[in-house]
Amino acid sequence: MSGKYKTPMLDELEKGPFPSFITEMKKATKISTTAEDALGQLEKSYQTKRGYWKHGGIVGVLGYGGGVIGRYSSLPDEFPGVAHYHTVRINQPSGFFYTSAALREICDIWDKYGSGMTNMHGSTGDLVLLGTTTDKLEAIFAEYSSRGWDLGSSGSAMRTPSCCVGPGRCEWACIDTLGLTYHLTQHFQDEMHRPAYPYKFKIKTAGCAVDCVAAIARADLSIIGTWKDDIQVDQAEVKAYADMGMNIQAEIAEMCPTECLKYDGGKITIDNKECTRCMHCIAKMTKALRPGKERGATILVGSKAPIVVGSLLSWVIVPFIKAEEPFEEVTELIENIIEWWDDNAKPRERIGELLEVKGMRPFLEAINVPPQPQQVREPRKDPFFFWTAADLEKK
Amino acid sequence: MEQEAIQELIYAYSEKMSGKKKLKEKDIIKKISADAELDKDVVKKALRAMIDVGKLMYSYGGGASSVEIPTEEYLREKGMIK
Repeated sequence: MSGKYKTPMLDELEKGPFPSFITEMKKATKISTTAEDALGQLEKSYQTKRGYWKHGGIVGVLGYGGGVIGRYSSLPDEFPGVAHYHTVRINQPSGFFYTSAALREICDIWDKYGSGMTNMHGSTGDLVLLGTTTDKLEAIFAEYSSRGWDLGSSGSAMRTPSCCVGPGRCEWACIDTLGLTYHLTQHFQDEMHRPAYPYKFKIKTAGCAVDCVAAIARADLSIIGTWKDDIQVDQAEVKAYADMGMNIQAEIAEMCPTECLKYDGGKITIDNKECTRCMHCIAKMTKALRPGKERGATILVGSKAPIVVGSLLSWVIVPFIKAEEPFEEVTELIENIIEWWDDNAKPRERIGELLEVKGMRPFLEAINVPPQPQQVREPRKDPFFFWTAADLEKK
Repeated sequence: MEQEAIQELIYAYSEKMSGKKKLKEKDIIKKISADAELDKDVVKKALRAMIDVGKLMYSYGGGASSVEIPTEEYLREKGMIK
């Protein structure tokens, strides 16, 4: 039970061994009067099996079209503390690296102006601050921006780019995900804060195909680190894995999706031209196998969650591109991709949906990328590429 | 054409469409640049300047963002009117 409301259903969620968000919300009632009403409304939602949040409308800071998501209670008389309960998004650092001092600074400001509750991070990547009122927004923005923070993105805009920890913490990063994400965030500042697109556009960057940020499933444009040459094999370490009891045949060779990896009981051999760079073998045998030395990124387009129409996974558009500072080649490609989408999409149409409507041919022509076998998403299915008579004559 | 004159065209168009269609930035830029035979970037700059001082504002509804003439409530909240 919270101080103001009886919360028998929420109390159930405090039982068991795991940390409970209800416990945290109850703690927030000590610093914020709004948290009690948030708990009261949530208990009512659980009792009635209905949500009582509304969102949208006109909330934000002057000059910005995003970063604040208007959130209102549909029961403002019953729960006045959450009549306005807006969400503020803060642009996260690349790879979600913070010092503890930075986190304290963020939280101190939020305790002063908001409910004191956060969820870190939202699926967009932004640091999400939950629950404030319209009259406090300009002050919140002024305080955060004076300390070097900026709002994240929302609405029909370039959403805050995000990435995995990359070379900051991971030996498999084939590209500098942190540097690239920082570059894209700076490059697309205008598009992030001034919503001018048909709908949202998300970029996520993963250092390798393990894809810790799930770029392939959550981003309109997924940048995934890869390599072009051969996987580096240390046969002595392969033997060490076998000696330690690893069943290399069952766990590695038979799990290889293209069966390009063979194990003869002593050594591993890889038919690299058949390898799809899925990272399965490398992730399992970290000491024995490493990505090749010629590294870059695969660019995929089109994934989205099931809002408006069904969910989609990203689709390979460019199998390999160099992604090194100053990132000109990648940036130019992204701009071309967005321009085609922006020129052709209907309101609230994501690029993955547009690709299915328009087909691959006009898209590839517009972004100046040749058709390639790697772009065939599913064998024996229509690759959405139609050859003209002129194309056939060339053959 | 002076920026102020372009802004008057933008405002008149936004006012005309108010309540009829949610205008995206791009809709306004396309319309004004075509009607007044202006470069799109010039119109965009004029539009952005209006948003920066609260003559127009961004709005959001149904999953999409739009540009609108500010409500009195918005102007009051931003300290532009009393």
